[in-house]
Amino acid sequence: MRIEQHPVLEFRRGKKIKFTFDGKEYVGYEGETIAAALHAAGIRVMRESPVLHRPRGLFCAIGNCSSCLMTVNGEPNVRICVEKLRPGMVVESQKGKGVVYAAGN
Amino acid sequence: MNRHEVIIIGGGVTGCSIAYHLAARGMKDVAVLERAYLTSGATGRCGAGFRHQWGTKTNCLLAKHAIARLERLAEELDYPGGVEIKQGGYLILAYTPKMEEQFKKNLALQRSLGIDARWVTPREAREIVPFLNTEGLLGATFCAKDGHANPFKVTDAYARAARRLGVKIHTYTEVQDIKIEGSLKTVITSRGTFQAPVVVNAAGGHAAEIGRMVGVDLPVVPERHQILVTEPVEQVLGPMVMSFYHNLYCQQTPHGSFIMGLGDPNEPKEYNVRSSWQFLSQMAQKVVWLLPVLKNVRVVRQWAGVYDMSPDRQPVLGEVPEVPGFYVAAGFSGHGFMIAPMTGQLMAEIILGLPTTLPVDMFSLSRFTTGELFVEPSVV
Repeated sequence: MRIEQHPVLEFRRGKKIKFTFDGKEYVGYEGETIAAALHAAGIRVMRESPVLHRPRGLFCAIGNCSSCLMTVNGEPNVRICVEKLRPGMVVESQKGKGVVYAAGN
Repeated sequence: MNRHEVIIIGGGVTGCSIAYHLAARGMKDVAVLERAYLTSGATGRCGAGFRHQWGTKTNCLLAKHAIARLERLAEELDYPGGVEIKQGGYLILAYTPKMEEQFKKNLALQRSLGIDARWVTPREAREIVPFLNTEGLLGATFCAKDGHANPFKVTDAYARAARRLGVKIHTYTEVQDIKIEGSLKTVITSRGTFQAPVVVNAAGGHAAEIGRMVGVDLPVVPERHQILVTEPVEQVLGPMVMSFYHNLYCQQTPHGSFIMGLGDPNEPKEYNVRSSWQFLSQMAQKVVWLLPVLKNVRVVRQWAGVYDMSPDRQPVLGEVPEVPGFYVAAGFSGHGFMIAPMTGQLMAEIILGLPTTLPVDMFSLSRFTTGELFVEPSVV
């Protein structure tokens, strides 16, 4: 869902671009955050909690709370609420604390 | 007026361990005086490592006995949840022929004392840490039984065990002066006056100040060391990686965060626990060169603490001859945490006049006047 018209805010959207999330292709607008594009695509679960593995959604949306950490282009623990979408990005939901090195790299 | 048998100044791991070991040997009328909260000094700011790989016989033995105690500390002190022991080893890197020579000497000493440490080639080092940058590396020493323990939990475990035995711990109680009349010492604090015939100075970076209160000149000076910690990630780094060449160390805690520090040879000898942007920048550059996978791992926070440096980087343990009943356990020079189980035991034995588990004569304060120093070569 996207707000198309707003009484106060004006949206200047960039051009439409493609990215993937967990292997599936999505479309978003260049310059918006990854979280905004995923939210617009109906994706609400951003992460699972580290100890009890319960779903976590978008919470602070300003890069403070760690609720939306994902692996982006292979880099773990990216705060997707403040990371801007770029063409061809490979976004993956992250289980656990993030893998910075896998044998064979 | 609070009257006790023993007053311990300093609520770090050393002070709490001494208190516990005294109480466990029957000396239960003990008070610990801490100026802020437990672990607020060097203990809670340290790199949280322990190692067998030392360059003097005394340190090797202290470490060996202390680590055996740390391994079983949770059971010994009945501390549910444990103290976060991780034994991934220490990998100590050699970059110059002189270092290689010294390290091989250290290894011979360690092995003669039953410590299972060995020389590894750069190729073997990469089997231990696959992403290690081995450029310029001549080799390294490795001991698989070295590792990590949580200094907050170790201190808490000793403090709780000591309290159960009757020890009184007073936090936010800053020692302001000490008066001596006969054998009785009166300790004036920000929260009242305490008296005891025995006072133990375990004040870390403040040990020299405490010494001055009784007219004792302790050659122990504070020296700032800085540390940072990253966000947690899945386990990838087994050992503590240590380089005396780069003056740095880096390990991954059981929680997954990387904790790392850098020594600065030009650091002024003064009490300073502020952190600096220069450290953050230098630390990041050096560690990413050595362990490139850290380049995308985010720093969570940085801080500083002080080593209590002695002239030969060895602690002062024992009674001050000129002031009977005044004992010192300070000057640990950056490795007080890891030997704290033995410091506590030895100090309790010394104070109670029991035979000591390990020889302690070389730790006496008088070595600085007689010149019998025994310099520890392996300190970052």
